[in-house]
Amino acid sequence: MTAEPSVVVAERYARGATVAAVVIAGFWHLGYDSVVTVVNWGVYTRQWAAAAGWVLYLLVGVAGAVLLLCGGSRRWVWPLGVAALAVDVLLVLAAPAQVILPANWAWGAVGWVAVIVFWRHRAAHLVAFLALDTALLVASMVAVGVGSSQHISRAIMVLLGAFTLQLGYSVSAHGLRTAAGWAARDSAARTEATARQAAAEAVAEDRAQRYRELHRATATLLAELAAGADPADPAIRRRAAAGAARLRRLMAETDDVPDPLLHELRAGADVAERRGVQVSLSVVGTVPRLPVDLRRALTEAPIVGLSAARSVARVTVVASQDEVAVAVVADAPPVRLTQPRGVELTHDRDGDQLWLETRWTDA
Amino acid sequence: MTGRPVTVGIIEDHPVVVDGVTTWINADPLQRAVVVGSGADVDEVLAGPAGAADVLLLDLHLGETVVVDRVAELCTAGRRVVVYSAMDDPDTILAVLEAGASAFLSKHEAGGHCVDTIVAVATDRPYVTPSVAGALLSEAPHLSAQERTALLLWFQSMSKASVARRMGLSEATVRQYIDRARVKYAKLGRPAPTKTALLARAIEDGLIRADEIREYRSHAAE
Repeated sequence: MTAEPSVVVAERYARGATVAAVVIAGFWHLGYDSVVTVVNWGVYTRQWAAAAGWVLYLLVGVAGAVLLLCGGSRRWVWPLGVAALAVDVLLVLAAPAQVILPANWAWGAVGWVAVIVFWRHRAAHLVAFLALDTALLVASMVAVGVGSSQHISRAIMVLLGAFTLQLGYSVSAHGLRTAAGWAARDSAARTEATARQAAAEAVAEDRAQRYRELHRATATLLAELAAGADPADPAIRRRAAAGAARLRRLMAETDDVPDPLLHELRAGADVAERRGVQVSLSVVGTVPRLPVDLRRALTEAPIVGLSAARSVARVTVVASQDEVAVAVVADAPPVRLTQPRGVELTHDRDGDQLWLETRWTDA
Repeated sequence: MTGRPVTVGIIEDHPVVVDGVTTWINADPLQRAVVVGSGADVDEVLAGPAGAADVLLLDLHLGETVVVDRVAELCTAGRRVVVYSAMDDPDTILAVLEAGASAFLSKHEAGGHCVDTIVAVATDRPYVTPSVAGALLSEAPHLSAQERTALLLWFQSMSKASVARRMGLSEATVRQYIDRARVKYAKLGRPAPTKTALLARAIEDGLIRADEIREYRSHAAE
């Protein structure tokens, strides 16, 4: 599966932050709640309620962590939230008189499991939970009848201290994830722009290169014609035919075809056929993929031979994985051939027949 | 067979091609062959005077159908068939040779090779046209390096004299290499009377030894 880089990066951040949230809740419960519970064990009038609250907190935390880390159903979010609030109630039952003293560790601690439980929901859910937590505390204080300014200020301190940390962590972790997504998207966009620029440069360079080759193929001849060379001269005609065939090959080179070498040879044959030459092309074997410079070296001499043909030409290709031989037999006058690079060129005459062969062998 | 010209039946659905082939045959200065019957339908031609012809020249494309299966049928019946077609890809050529055809003429090479092919085939001797050389090059498994080179240069098609000069050999030796490659292919695949006759003649002419045939048979049996 290939995901957008921004998604991948954001998911990695999210994973790290969720693991951190679980670790915080775990340490909080084991490191703070447990110690407080043990220290105040004698203070609790209903010790079973204190123990049950501790266990329930642990269960809610584990369930929330499993759902979050394994991507489970979201249906359990609020039931777990309610169970977390039940911890508040159990701790009030354990020691009603201690409702806002350290023995009741629940008010601030439940927020940490809530961070886990509500992680995949909008922040409003967590805020709602914390509001319910606060409402429960207020209701308990009223029911138990503690209302001194000292108690109220302590309650505010507990709640604010816990809530700022919890909300702050949750919101900033989610914000970090969003920012990571932005950064990844920016980076991807930059990469794409760079790639597009490189492609445009390559296309432009390719065009320039082809223009230079076109120029080489025709400029000298055109200059000679402009300077008064006789178009009726057979040598000039042959060179013009070869130039036309090279231009056709140059165009054929960019076509996306399964068999480029044959395609380029056919382009050369086509030019000869238009001059009225009867051309046959026979192929034996499958031509391996060759780079364009080797294909050019293989087709250059055959194109010259085809361009010189008077009436009949036979083009043959014999190919295997490690050898390709291209040959032309034609009724053609002697031609000037230049030794190509990377391929072997041989030629021979028999009466008015020209035979030439270019051969590439995989060294 | 000496003394009288080879009799030829032409099975071809284009009258203009029949006329063209007849012209080539009649133009032979030695008058080595004569057309005794022609038509567009295999059975009709065989029912006529060409029923006893030494050689049948068969166009592979009759009307809309490709008659490769008729080639096998005719050769199994012992007739010498020269297949004549514009489809000269190696697969088609090997398919008709495999079916027992004595020779194959591609339409582009027919003029220069037609009479020579007919005369060779009438005496059960191999005649390898350049198109067949190409096909053999792509397939025949038991070729020596020299046979392969001779086939390749012949496929590129100039005179055998030119091939001989380039290989630094005599023309007779080049012909021998090419014909041996053809005979080796006759040993492969399904037997047909025409293939047996070709092999027998090749042994008689000293082109190939009888023990070479056994050797290849055992290869094919593996």
